[in-house]
Amino acid sequence: MAQDYTEWLAINVLNEQQLISYRSLSRALKVHSNLAKQMLYDFHHKQNAKKPGSVHATYLITGTKIKEAPLANGGHSQHDGEDTVMQSSPPLPSSSAPQTEEQHHEPIEVRTVMLAKEEHLENAKASFESVTGIHIYSLQAKGLSDVRVLTECNRKIAADYASEDPLEAWKQYGTIQNSNVKRRTQRRQPPPPPAATAGATKAKVATTTKPAPLDKQASKESQELKPASRPTLAKATPEPSKKPATTKRQNSDIFKSFAKGKTKEQEQESQSSAEPSPKPPAEDEPMADFSNEESGEDVDEADAMETVVKGPEGKSKEKREADLQAMMDQEDEMMDDAAEAAPEVDQDEGAIDKPDSQTAEEPKETVEVENGRRRGRRRVMKKKNFKDEDGYLVTKEEAAWESFSEDEPPAKKIKGPSVTTMQQPKQVAGGKKAGKPGQGNIMSFFGKK
Amino acid sequence: MAVQYGTEDEGDDSMLHAPSDTEYPLLDRVKSTYTSLPTYQLPKGEDRHYQQQYADMYFARLAQIKPAVEQIASEAWADFGIAGEKALRKDRVLDVRQGELCWVIGTVYMEMPLKPNVLEDIGKEHWIAAPPPRVKYDSGMANGDSEHGAHAGGGKGLSGAQIMLEDESGRLRLTGSYLEGGLLVTGAIVAVVGTENADGDFEVLEIRVPDLPRQPPRWETEDGDAAVNGKSASQKRSKAGKVAIVSGLGMSGDEGDTLSLDMLMEYLLGESAEPGSQEDASAISRLIIAGNSLSHGSPIPSREEMAAVAKKVGRKTYGYDSSSYNKAPTDRLDQWLASLLPSMPITLLPGEQDPTSTSLPQQPIHAAMFPHSRAYMNAPAANEGAGWFDSTTNPAECSVDGWRLLATGGQPVDDVYKYLPDCEERLEMMEAMLRWRLTAPTAPDTLWCYPFQDGDQFVLKECPHVYIVGNQPKFETVVIEGPVGQQVRLVAVPKFKDTGELVLLDCETLVPEVVKFEVFEEG
Repeated sequence: MAQDYTEWLAINVLNEQQLISYRSLSRALKVHSNLAKQMLYDFHHKQNAKKPGSVHATYLITGTKIKEAPLANGGHSQHDGEDTVMQSSPPLPSSSAPQTEEQHHEPIEVRTVMLAKEEHLENAKASFESVTGIHIYSLQAKGLSDVRVLTECNRKIAADYASEDPLEAWKQYGTIQNSNVKRRTQRRQPPPPPAATAGATKAKVATTTKPAPLDKQASKESQELKPASRPTLAKATPEPSKKPATTKRQNSDIFKSFAKGKTKEQEQESQSSAEPSPKPPAEDEPMADFSNEESGEDVDEADAMETVVKGPEGKSKEKREADLQAMMDQEDEMMDDAAEAAPEVDQDEGAIDKPDSQTAEEPKETVEVENGRRRGRRRVMKKKNFKDEDGYLVTKEEAAWESFSEDEPPAKKIKGPSVTTMQQPKQVAGGKKAGKPGQGNIMSFFGKK
Repeated sequence: MAVQYGTEDEGDDSMLHAPSDTEYPLLDRVKSTYTSLPTYQLPKGEDRHYQQQYADMYFARLAQIKPAVEQIASEAWADFGIAGEKALRKDRVLDVRQGELCWVIGTVYMEMPLKPNVLEDIGKEHWIAAPPPRVKYDSGMANGDSEHGAHAGGGKGLSGAQIMLEDESGRLRLTGSYLEGGLLVTGAIVAVVGTENADGDFEVLEIRVPDLPRQPPRWETEDGDAAVNGKSASQKRSKAGKVAIVSGLGMSGDEGDTLSLDMLMEYLLGESAEPGSQEDASAISRLIIAGNSLSHGSPIPSREEMAAVAKKVGRKTYGYDSSSYNKAPTDRLDQWLASLLPSMPITLLPGEQDPTSTSLPQQPIHAAMFPHSRAYMNAPAANEGAGWFDSTTNPAECSVDGWRLLATGGQPVDDVYKYLPDCEERLEMMEAMLRWRLTAPTAPDTLWCYPFQDGDQFVLKECPHVYIVGNQPKFETVVIEGPVGQQVRLVAVPKFKDTGELVLLDCETLVPEVVKFEVFEEG
């Protein structure tokens, strides 16, 4: 074991230039935190004996501090406490037990836990009246510019050892155990620890201290964490439903309407494949308890989903499953490059409704004259309403293809803007006509006078 | 283990040695006996209404507290008299006649120059620069200069204020030198004795307050429950540990403020420090967080925050803006709690800045805010007593190791503070509130609160053993005594973010101590 920790510390502190606290050491080697503190001390001692100043330490001192004269931390305002209104004026009327001096100046024990850098250790100790204990908190290869960087250690522990069961694993670290702990088994998995942010902040911190090695570490770390977080993604019901939602947003073109149905369907699919019961377990339904509306919405949504699933026919179950599989496989790439993923999805959509999507590829308008009727396809501008990421309603005009024939009801003709181009002269005339009544009104207004 | 090394005052330096073969005993935490009382829980869902008038609250409060004051006052003033004239009891404020020595009970109302005013608030929208937030409601105008100077008698050097006593019948302006030293705020129910002078003002000779209510003996809650469940009440109880109290963690998601939080966590987990301190830490049976765990969690941004946002963004946005939402603080709080929960139970009170309802009594922070910690919470439907992680109301009443505990996030004291121009003594205000039997006397006048209909929930029905107020400027404590031997330990808990102080309260002796976490700064 002696070799173990020396080697581990040599690699991590000297070579990788990382911050190592007694906690990270105890977690890495699965030893008691007190033992880890001693290991840090031993390593620090030996390395600095070999080469002074090669390893820098921070210390944690516990004890009682020397009381300062104005007693900022002592609890009571002793400075002018004696002659405040409290004592001189009649206190509260009828306060049956007037306060005694002793009660007011009851001695309160103040203990201090202080973190100090190696170079400040002596000064820090001097501020203590008595020191009850001292140990090395962390080691790092070079001096520590900012003590606050030390929070990285615990952040990393939280991220790296999130999969450990604290009730089991923490025994070996010497954490105080509690036999009375009550914990529910959660069927809904908590979100994975913020690995990405940890990496990001890590990189940010690194720029101020030691850029290159830490940066590398950060990226490595996030890579390592990826596979770990995958299974939870697959398991947790909310995650798969989120993914199609993002694709939906990307597809803000003609396929949007189809994509919507599609994603709903897939959502349903993924839910049923991931978990046999799509409804969350009754035990874990705190939202319902607080607002009834929400649970009601849930039910509605579920209903809606089911109806949607029934909707598109002619597509076999196998095909849908295959699509789902493809979708799941895409997940990671989609995150990287959303634009790339979009066309693939389009092809999927095409499968649902072939005629329309195929015509979308056709470059020119076609008009046939047959039996005196004109038929064909033309490009029209259609207005689309949708919600964007910020929750705003956005209206967009988009090119769309529609088939037409002269027999179509006139109402539909008026709808498309292209129709107006065909009937321009009439419309202009109409415009003039529309102008006249307005003028007439004005005239009549004057006429009255 | 105790190897001699260094000087004597080094204490335990066993950690400054090469690894030894010492087996460290596995520490087990002391059990916490805990019952959460539903005193301040509001009705859920459709039963919670906001259409009621606040006036009902004052009526209810007066009706609830009047008998207690009446008893005290009639005993005290049974043979109170001046020059042969005995003080008469008047039932209503309007029954007071000029020149007649009498006593009467009513609700105090203070009219102060700088008290918040709805009309003024609306006016503020049109001002170029909003006035700074008020430290005190009193203007500090010189006595006698103002129009009301003659009447301004107020306690603690009030100058521009008027004190009035009101009940269902009407109002009476109070005056007299007796008010100078006293401590009064809007909402307190008091009995006054004196005479009405030629100006129509009531010259106060003495004031009586309801004083502390009945105090249940220790273990009453538990024994009562046990009796109900048919168990023997006289079971053996193990020695109680300590309760750790902290407030104002103020997590903001910044890098800077988390180091002391880490130190606090490691201390509570018993991982940091030397074996002796670790053993001390294992005696801590529970952590109570008294408000303001987040620094900007309130759902309603303050006027200042709104101004800052408007300036930065340049355009006015209404409602929720997802781009400005920062989830880092809640994540951090959740992680922090989740790392403590395997080892110790936690009671979490919301505070002014926390993401829950803003009016008192603040309701528990929703479980959805704690994706990691909620495993330790009770299932919502379950009816099995307090959860291991108990997200509770503010104020909150609970029974810890047999003691009745009343804790608030600090808003009521902060608001009472604004009424008293020359008073900085937080403990005195806390004491006064207990003696008024009101946990939030200034609600609904200057403190937001739920419009209670059937009785004012802020009236103390039973006297606590420990009264904890969070988010105060510094740590203070005192024991006060009641008329029939009640003893209450008052603890003002400082903001952890500013002071790094954790309060440990011994649950056998009720003596507090402080553990301070700091980073040594050169110079």
